[in-house]
Amino acid sequence: MSSRLFASRRERWLAKRIPPARQVRLDQRRIFILPTREGLLFGVALLVMLLAAINYQNSLAYGLTFLLLSLGLITILHTWRNLAGLQLAAGEAPPVFAGEQACFRVRLQSSGRAHSGIALGWPPAALQRLDVAADGSGEVELFLPAGQRGWLRAPRLRVESRFPLGLLVAWSWVDLDLAALVYPRPVSGELPPAGGVGEDDDEPGSAAQRSGVDDFQGLRPWQSGDSRRRLHWKAWSRGQGLLVKDFTELHSHDLWLDFDSLGGDREARLSLLCHWVVHLTAHGQPFGLRLPGVSRPPALGGAQRDLCLRDLALFGLPAAAQGRQP
Amino acid sequence: MKKTPLPIPRISLLWLLVAQVLVILPHLFHLPVWIGGLWLVCATWRIQVFRQRTNYPGGLTKAFMLIAAAAGVYASRGSLMGLDAGVALLVSTFLLKLVELKTRRDALVLVFLGFFTVLTSYLFDDGLPAALYSLLPVTALLAALIGLQQSGLSDKPWPTLRLAGSLLLQAVPLMLVLFVLFPRLGPLWSVPMPGTGGSRGLAESMTPGDIAELSQSSALAFRASFAGPIPPRRDLYWRALTFEQFDGRRWSQLDEMTRSRPDWRPEGPSLSYSIVMQASGQPWLFALDTATTDLEHTRQMGDFRLQRRRPVDQSLLYSVTSWPQARREVQGSPRLDVALQLPDHGNPRARQWAAELKARHGGDPQGLVDDLLGHFAREEYYYTLKPPLAGEDTVDHFLFDTRRGFCAHYAGAMTFVLRAAGIPARVVAGYQGGEVNPAGNYVQVNQFDAHAWVEYWLPGHGWISADPTFQVAPTRIEQGLQQALPAEDTFLADAPLSPLRYRHVEWLNQLRLSWDNLNYTWQRKVLGYQGAEQLKLLESWFGNVDPARIGMILLACLGLLFGGLALVLLKPWKRPHDPLLRQYRRFERLLARQGVRRGAGEGPLAFAERAALALPGQAAEIRAFAQRFAHQRYADAAADPAALRRLLGRLRRQLPWRPWWRTGNASAGVRGG
Repeated sequence: MSSRLFASRRERWLAKRIPPARQVRLDQRRIFILPTREGLLFGVALLVMLLAAINYQNSLAYGLTFLLLSLGLITILHTWRNLAGLQLAAGEAPPVFAGEQACFRVRLQSSGRAHSGIALGWPPAALQRLDVAADGSGEVELFLPAGQRGWLRAPRLRVESRFPLGLLVAWSWVDLDLAALVYPRPVSGELPPAGGVGEDDDEPGSAAQRSGVDDFQGLRPWQSGDSRRRLHWKAWSRGQGLLVKDFTELHSHDLWLDFDSLGGDREARLSLLCHWVVHLTAHGQPFGLRLPGVSRPPALGGAQRDLCLRDLALFGLPAAAQGRQP
Repeated sequence: MKKTPLPIPRISLLWLLVAQVLVILPHLFHLPVWIGGLWLVCATWRIQVFRQRTNYPGGLTKAFMLIAAAAGVYASRGSLMGLDAGVALLVSTFLLKLVELKTRRDALVLVFLGFFTVLTSYLFDDGLPAALYSLLPVTALLAALIGLQQSGLSDKPWPTLRLAGSLLLQAVPLMLVLFVLFPRLGPLWSVPMPGTGGSRGLAESMTPGDIAELSQSSALAFRASFAGPIPPRRDLYWRALTFEQFDGRRWSQLDEMTRSRPDWRPEGPSLSYSIVMQASGQPWLFALDTATTDLEHTRQMGDFRLQRRRPVDQSLLYSVTSWPQARREVQGSPRLDVALQLPDHGNPRARQWAAELKARHGGDPQGLVDDLLGHFAREEYYYTLKPPLAGEDTVDHFLFDTRRGFCAHYAGAMTFVLRAAGIPARVVAGYQGGEVNPAGNYVQVNQFDAHAWVEYWLPGHGWISADPTFQVAPTRIEQGLQQALPAEDTFLADAPLSPLRYRHVEWLNQLRLSWDNLNYTWQRKVLGYQGAEQLKLLESWFGNVDPARIGMILLACLGLLFGGLALVLLKPWKRPHDPLLRQYRRFERLLARQGVRRGAGEGPLAFAERAALALPGQAAEIRAFAQRFAHQRYADAAADPAALRRLLGRLRRQLPWRPWWRTGNASAGVRGG
């Protein structure tokens, strides 16, 4: 109870001190520093050495003890400096399906000095390590399990460094406003006939055949998500680039994925719809999507797929969670 | 969540191996020989583990190795207690730890053990060379610590070493402040001291052979710096202890002599000097007669020697004030009868001669002493370090048969005769003379300066010193042992390479004296910087020295240095520069060298177009750079200065080389066109 209270207070304090931003430069307001367990052990070793120096009245023993103590002190500066001035920027975070690992890219940029042994991540998971050369930059990919559909907001990211001696750790908690869109987990299953798809629709051949009888509209450039079946190979062999034969399906044949026509609970329906959006796009079948309050007219291609999946991901979630743009 | 232990990087293992060699090297001088073998076994084993040729030792093997090492220490040191054995155990642990080195934590323990082992090496040798050498293992241990960090830098040995070195250098100013200002406490509890292989120098009893042995040693006994001019050599009789007891062969000291305080009065001028003595393993200090010191736990004994409560196990600095003309126990002393003790029988000729002398001089003991000393000067006596073997009655044999001997023979014989004649007398052992080092204005006394002389008591005068050796070999007293034995060639005969033998080679002698001066300064200023010395220095700097004030000064100095270092390291006045802009400035400079300059307010793309027109041969490279720059800077693309640098390099290779000092002309030409 009290630990939860503490956690939330800490969160508020951090939010004030290091507000969320897509790009953060680590400076003295944002870097914390404390001895590590190794550092404490080092302190104990120094104490033993000091006792030896006192009892043996040995000047050199005093000297060595003080040299190491001074070393420990100046390591504070070095460890701190190793983190200071580092710029972190959020990179892209491609959407994933629930149950997968969401990947966040974070870009690190030095501003003049080298940063060695920088570790990033979300404890208690292992941190990713990298070095950033002076005037150089680096990129890390960080992974978080995507559990539920919707926006996956990454928690505050821990950036730390123990370089050079490992006696101290300098760290910061930055919020790069990292978020990845999580689509529902695709679950295959039957679509009811009312949807307009035949019982054997799992079979790709039939879908391709049906689209074949539709009106041939013309050729358009290939874009990702288009079926390979529709590639205009002849045009390609003539050197005209990758073209796709575009068809408009007759309205009566339009394939609608309809939320209301499905049974089961909401998440199960969304999962099924998700599966079909992916499946139909992969097989070059145009489709429309109908959700309560949302209607996407039938179309084909990567853009349609992304729009529909986004609708599915955010369906029914509070508006605050939807308004977030990547 | 349990973390899997982190493995040790290869580079760190290498550093640890190097550091271990460097750490144990100075210890090999005093540790049993098998420690070297143990190191070889451990290092080989660990390397084989690393090459996956063998496994880590199991628990049983480890326990066995530990017990074997402890048994080895016990066998070679006869105990597991004491400093020698303790350090041998520490070094064994330090070596054995290498074999079971698995995780980072183990490596860390090894590094800290290494630091401690370096510290213990100071207890055996704290000279300047040893101190400088110890920086090597410390640097290597630091490098190992850096190598443990997961960073690209740690994989490269030279940058690692450079970083370790620069960290150490930066730590030095703080260390000096701490060294000078940190209060020196007395020992908190008593600790075992290094056994220096038995005591060195003068022992508690003396046969003539002991002094002969000492005179073969060129080891340093002590050095003395005088506040005023150095007294002449012939006056430098450094008392260590006295021998009252004679058993016919051996002179030894009497315990009760050491207990009570003697009665004496300072008289005449005094001498102030400080002495740094080497570890002797004995409690007595060296000083000129009659001496007082304010050293802690030290007092003047019944025979006027200075003695410390504990033996001198480490080099020791103390200040002395001496009154050479002091009158000592003029009123007599209840212990005078001790100074008349003789064995019940033996040496009949010497006793008879004493009786004759007593009869001759009757009530004039001083006349008797003068006669005796004159006897040594008049008759055929020889000063030699190679006297013939003594017979049954050692004094008789020396006085009347061989007439060859050195200080111990003369002092022993004279004391015997004086006692036999009823004059209280005793043998004083110590050092005589010493070598004046002109570079540092101090006297250096070596073991071969060991000497024995006589002290006798006269009513109304107290104790008076006399040196029969001076009668026989005045050069020994006035110039030194080497000069007193020119023909014999026995001076340091066992040490043909000792630089002391080559004092006649001018440059070598200069070198030796300078080196000795450096060592002496080191001993006084650094090793002797303990309690009283620290107080003296701090008082001269800050006036009154109460702990709170020194603490404040210490903290202030530390804060100042730390702040200064922070400024140097962090350079807060330097605005964080924009790496993109920096590349663009280089681009501008490059083009300016070709005579194309960006106008005020000219955008990067417009400027690039103009430059491309001016330099059509390089138009493609110029545009490529400018577009990439504009893209990264204004179009929110990820900043990538490395890519810009590559593009810039390509452009530079395309451009004709033109030195910067000719840019003026070229620019005029282009503008004209």
